[in-house]
Amino acid sequence: MKHSFIDKYSDLESPVHSLDPRVKLIAVFSAIIIIVSEPRGEIIPLVFYALLIFILVLLSRVPTGFILSRCLIVSPFILAAAAFYPISIMLTENYQSLQSLRPEFKVAVSVAVKALLSVVLLTVLVSSDKFHNLLLGMRRLKMPKLIGILSALMYRYIFILYDEALRTTRARDSRTPGKLRTGKLKTFGNQSALIFLRSWERSQTIHNSMLSRGFEGEFPGMRKLSVRRTDIFYSLFFIIIFLAIRLTNHSGGCFPFN
Amino acid sequence: MHIADGIIDTHICIGAHLVSGGLLYVSGKKMPMEEIPGVGIMGAALFVASLVHFPFAGTSIHLGLFGIAGIVLGKNAFPAIFTALLFQSLIFQHGGLLTLGVNALNMGAGAYVAWLIWRMWKVPEYIRAPLAGFSGIIIPALLMTAEFRLSGYGRGIVYLFAVYLVAAFIESAITFSAVKFLRRVKPEILN
Repeated sequence: MKHSFIDKYSDLESPVHSLDPRVKLIAVFSAIIIIVSEPRGEIIPLVFYALLIFILVLLSRVPTGFILSRCLIVSPFILAAAAFYPISIMLTENYQSLQSLRPEFKVAVSVAVKALLSVVLLTVLVSSDKFHNLLLGMRRLKMPKLIGILSALMYRYIFILYDEALRTTRARDSRTPGKLRTGKLKTFGNQSALIFLRSWERSQTIHNSMLSRGFEGEFPGMRKLSVRRTDIFYSLFFIIIFLAIRLTNHSGGCFPFN
Repeated sequence: MHIADGIIDTHICIGAHLVSGGLLYVSGKKMPMEEIPGVGIMGAALFVASLVHFPFAGTSIHLGLFGIAGIVLGKNAFPAIFTALLFQSLIFQHGGLLTLGVNALNMGAGAYVAWLIWRMWKVPEYIRAPLAGFSGIIIPALLMTAEFRLSGYGRGIVYLFAVYLVAAFIESAITFSAVKFLRRVKPEILN
């Protein structure tokens, strides 16, 4: 079992890594709301946000190559969604020339940049702490109890199930190589059902063993988080700078709605 | 299908977060404790199954499996989908934190409609199963198109919906096959 998609850079030492996970969650969520609430078509403020986020990336010591690779993976979806803004208007509304659609293209650029900046912020957040610490932070921030328990369970078994998925994929590829054909859909269906089925059976075993150990909905021994004054100071400073950029831009839009 | 942060209007995202929060609160109150581990593991399975990619038209696609989630989990599908999406947004940045509520409501609605279709016991299973798989994709696509439209996109956004029609047909075939497999191997999971 070797999965590098979680906690790859969480052991680095940096000012961002040392912050309390709750403080980081609040700061990143606030920053995303502030960026996203920027009026559409506004590019200049996004440059300032990008600059600030770049400084944050440098402070976090998370390799920029890794962050860029994350952006590259999601960028086709983001760019397609952003490009659909002018395209959806071109397809149905009356327009004279591409020049007349300049504001729409500006909106598309701003939408794509906002989305990519949010992706960078999320990547820094997840790379700067152990994933289970972030989940613990969310629970301490009073996320719905049900989601807290489900997340804790999911985090514990995701790796085991992923191994199961890899095994079934290897078996599928070795038996039915090649491109997607109609007959292969059946194989894909069987594979999906098999993953569900094995998960289901495992969940029954897990549930029984949890009950036998006295599980009543809470995981015992969750470590205490302690927030320092400096954590609050740094995160407030971070949010205030974002807010300052947002509020000094008066060209349109009503905060918090874009 | 996963809407990233910044793509649609902030007020839609905040509204969806509030509705999701309400639904999760109600689910939490109603769900018996003994069902929670099962839902958690199935949520993990949903997350993992969506990581399995298939070669398609020179690229690779992954399944949503919201139809199967609806069939197997029923009303409990929404919390499982919400948690799976939370993980996807944090680990892979597929979807965002602000759009988590919107994405969960879209896909949860797909699973819920799939469950309603699956409960039409008088309809033969060979019709119910693919229809559930189809609705698991097409309902979220419909809602997503409406949200894009509400966010100022032009009427041409309906073409995006057409793209998802192809995915819905593939998903319906796979759901049908998966249900047949489950019926043969472990039929009690389908009831």
